[in-house]
Amino acid sequence: MRPLTEPETQTLFAKLANYTGTSLKNLIAPLDNGPNADRFVFRLHQSRCYYVRLSLANLAVSVSRDKLLSLGTCLGKFTKSGKFRLHITALPILAEHARYKVWVKANGEMPFLYGGHVVKAHIGRWSEDCPEHQGVVVYSMNDTPLGFGVTARSTQEARRLDPTGITCFRQADCGEYLRDEDTLFATS
Amino acid sequence: MAPSRTSTVKSKHAANKSGIRNSKTTSKAKSSSDPVSKPKKKEQQSKGVQKLKKGEGRKKRRVYTEKELDIPQLNMITPVGVEKPKGKKKGKVFVDDRESMMTILAMVNADKEGQIESKMMKARQMEEIREARKAEAEKRVEIRKSKLDETKEGLRKKRKRSTGADGGEESIKSEAAAGTKPLKKRKSVSFA
Repeated sequence: MRPLTEPETQTLFAKLANYTGTSLKNLIAPLDNGPNADRFVFRLHQSRCYYVRLSLANLAVSVSRDKLLSLGTCLGKFTKSGKFRLHITALPILAEHARYKVWVKANGEMPFLYGGHVVKAHIGRWSEDCPEHQGVVVYSMNDTPLGFGVTARSTQEARRLDPTGITCFRQADCGEYLRDEDTLFATS
Repeated sequence: MAPSRTSTVKSKHAANKSGIRNSKTTSKAKSSSDPVSKPKKKEQQSKGVQKLKKGEGRKKRRVYTEKELDIPQLNMITPVGVEKPKGKKKGKVFVDDRESMMTILAMVNADKEGQIESKMMKARQMEEIREARKAEAEKRVEIRKSKLDETKEGLRKKRKRSTGADGGEESIKSEAAAGTKPLKKRKSVSFA
């Protein structure tokens, strides 16, 4: 387990900034105004990046590397080529700071949770002025985050789209907790 | 000294083997060189040994290794990743303090903002172009439609006129026919 290097931090932030707005800086803000206030940090452990409280990360040092399975919230993993891939486990953090959102109707929830893209007929609401290929967080109509993806069309173009046309490409959905149960938390 | 020795041996063999044996020049050279050359060699050797002995007697010179000299290596390609800077700490440099993380975050955020802005601008421009094209297409369709209507109207008027004119002619004809010949009724098919 180690902190991130500069290029790693940059790639991570660049990826997160696809989905979040300027409020991303609250992610690393100290929890209170004390001089030695606890804060959240990023830690890399077996190519996975964890968002964890500093005090907890310090405690986790006492666990040997091969025995340490996970700590804090897993955001995703660094590929061998140095890119970063977000996991569905990062959804609570993304949902909190999301910039563009898509609300899916009740009839579109299941298709999305089974790994389908979001078609126009299933969309209940969407954020205005959303450009093409922009990261969005997908919510159900009662504001429960279901996953995240990338817009296929800008909002204006999507208006003209036919009902079966794909509006948002799925990247991760909550169904992965079941579908990818074996690989999501396995470290080997 | 060793290489000089080997060279002399080699030259001997070469002298024996190479060249034309019976020629006068080779025989002369042999006879002349052999007795003279041997003592010369011995002298050289002895001189060399003496020199060496003298050197030992003097202070030993420090022998520098290549690394110590720090001479730039010529004709070598050292890849960027392989060459290690001297006097620098090994390993990765971590970013764990808040300030540096904040600066990285601010940079990334600004970058993304710019990207989104440019995307929006592009989308808006494309939208404008599309609207203009659509309006133009509509205009063209309207013009075509009006042209078609005009031609239709023209045709209708023509037909009306022609039907009126035909009736007059027929009456004249019939009158003329009545005057000269008994009228034969023409068979005709008419569509509604």
